[in-house]
Amino acid sequence: MSAARANHLDLSPPPIVKKMSQRSLAVGILFGLGAVALAFLRPEEFYRGYLLGFMCWLGVALGSMAILMIRHLTGGGWGTIIRRILGAAMRTLPLLAILFIPVILGIHHLYIWAQPLNNIENKHLREHLEQITRSYLTTNGFVMRAIIYFAIWNVCSFLLSKWSAQTDDASAPNNSQRFKAVAGPGLILYAFTISFAAIDWIMSLDPSWISTIFGLIILIGEILSAMCFAVVVERILFNYKPMSELLRPDFVHDHGKWMLAFVMVWAYFSFSQWLIIWAGNLPSEISFYLKRLSGGWGWIGLSLVLFHFAVPFAILLSRPFKRNIRKLVWVAVWLILMRYVDLFWIIEPNFSKTISLTVADVVVPVAIGGIWLWYFFRNLAALPLVPAYDQDAHEVLQPEHAGHAG
Amino acid sequence: MKRDPIYGIMAEFDTPTALLEAARRTYQAGYKKIDAYSPFPIEGLAEEIGFEHNAVALVVLICGIIGACTGYLLQYWCDAVTYPLNIGGRPYNSWPSFIVITFELTILFGGISALLGMLALNGLPMPYHPVFNVPRFSSASKDRFFLIVFSSDKQYDASATRRFLEGLQPRSISEVPS
Repeated sequence: MSAARANHLDLSPPPIVKKMSQRSLAVGILFGLGAVALAFLRPEEFYRGYLLGFMCWLGVALGSMAILMIRHLTGGGWGTIIRRILGAAMRTLPLLAILFIPVILGIHHLYIWAQPLNNIENKHLREHLEQITRSYLTTNGFVMRAIIYFAIWNVCSFLLSKWSAQTDDASAPNNSQRFKAVAGPGLILYAFTISFAAIDWIMSLDPSWISTIFGLIILIGEILSAMCFAVVVERILFNYKPMSELLRPDFVHDHGKWMLAFVMVWAYFSFSQWLIIWAGNLPSEISFYLKRLSGGWGWIGLSLVLFHFAVPFAILLSRPFKRNIRKLVWVAVWLILMRYVDLFWIIEPNFSKTISLTVADVVVPVAIGGIWLWYFFRNLAALPLVPAYDQDAHEVLQPEHAGHAG
Repeated sequence: MKRDPIYGIMAEFDTPTALLEAARRTYQAGYKKIDAYSPFPIEGLAEEIGFEHNAVALVVLICGIIGACTGYLLQYWCDAVTYPLNIGGRPYNSWPSFIVITFELTILFGGISALLGMLALNGLPMPYHPVFNVPRFSSASKDRFFLIVFSSDKQYDASATRRFLEGLQPRSISEVPS
């Protein structure tokens, strides 16, 4: 049935995808040159900006993998219509593994525990670090764990992509059970690996601080940014066939609902961390918020409450708004920007007592983004936008209530 | 008010597609007081019969805000006004610790008002409804799809409306006594 529909609707990606790939590469090279210059002129600032940019774009790739896995488990047209967008973002993970190398090169610039401990004046911090750098936070351990995370993510991505690519022609095997077999354990593995990665790469910037919910805050932020990214790409594709024919208001509505849900979960986790640490008021925990609420950083924190939660939440409550892709895309773009601000507020106060935005904080994330988007659009151009012979393809290719052309 | 002996005219259809098409044409023909019945939700049907929005969302929003205020003020009144306790040197009006109860009461008030508002606005529970006077209507919960034009509609005319509905090629047409 889906084959019949697929035959007279060309599912291959429109030429805009190739064009976007080229434009992204141009931006990536231009800002990349600036980033390389910064790496030599101001290495300290460069590596901070690099970690920030890396976490932003890693979030989109990993979040896409998580949403794709949720789709494989739950089904539903909302996921089928964007699964190739999510898949293309997921398949940037090999690139991100390579892009992680500068973080390892800059380990001595970024992480206080990787520096010679004798130089640290604070006696308590030095003793604490002497203890944890013997067991967990070692340079070798840091690299080894990163290899394990990327290996797990890339294996999941490889399997899901491989089986997905098989469902583009009529001889496709039924891969539904295979998808499920990877997606279920994969989601659990993702939750654990991203928690450890968040501890290694971000929380360890301040090695005396601990928060058990921190990994989940990073996790939900990634999934939120991925959903918003998929909406933005879907909006670009909506100008062209086949997406203009396939994208129904119902699907957009579901994407809007996901965005609302993820915004709420992000607020829930972030507030939980704040409430627990504020109520406990322990020196080792409260330092996180003392740093981030003084020296002008508090304004960023307040803007997160308003513009990462309150305003998008209020707007996304509206049903007609969520059903209109032309409107929803603006909240999606806004939330992607707020993800950057949130990560900026988490990472940068570790290095500066007063509020400061360096050139590297902007140039390097844009450079990584350009290269990442180039690779993403290249992946997106490689496969049809909907796998026509997948078991679930009818959810998208067949009109609802069969026969009623909506 | 004198009760019209006829509640409306009902047409029966075999498929959701036919019902959608019939609803669209009936609404376009100028009949505004119409309703449709189906064994399962049909996407887009509500829009076709001219349904735009209901007041339940507004009721929930207002009650949710009332719940939030109640939750916060309750704690403020207890902890900062009538029985102020110094807990770890924190201010009496410690808003972070008040948020949880404030949130819970928002949900509680919103949830209860959604149920009660829905019942109040749709008139349930309703022990008697005229559509059940048509014996065939029992299949509306199985595999048939019904469209009704109410006799209270301005354009309603017993014979003209019946003729119009016949033009939609339904499976059957029945007059619904009230």
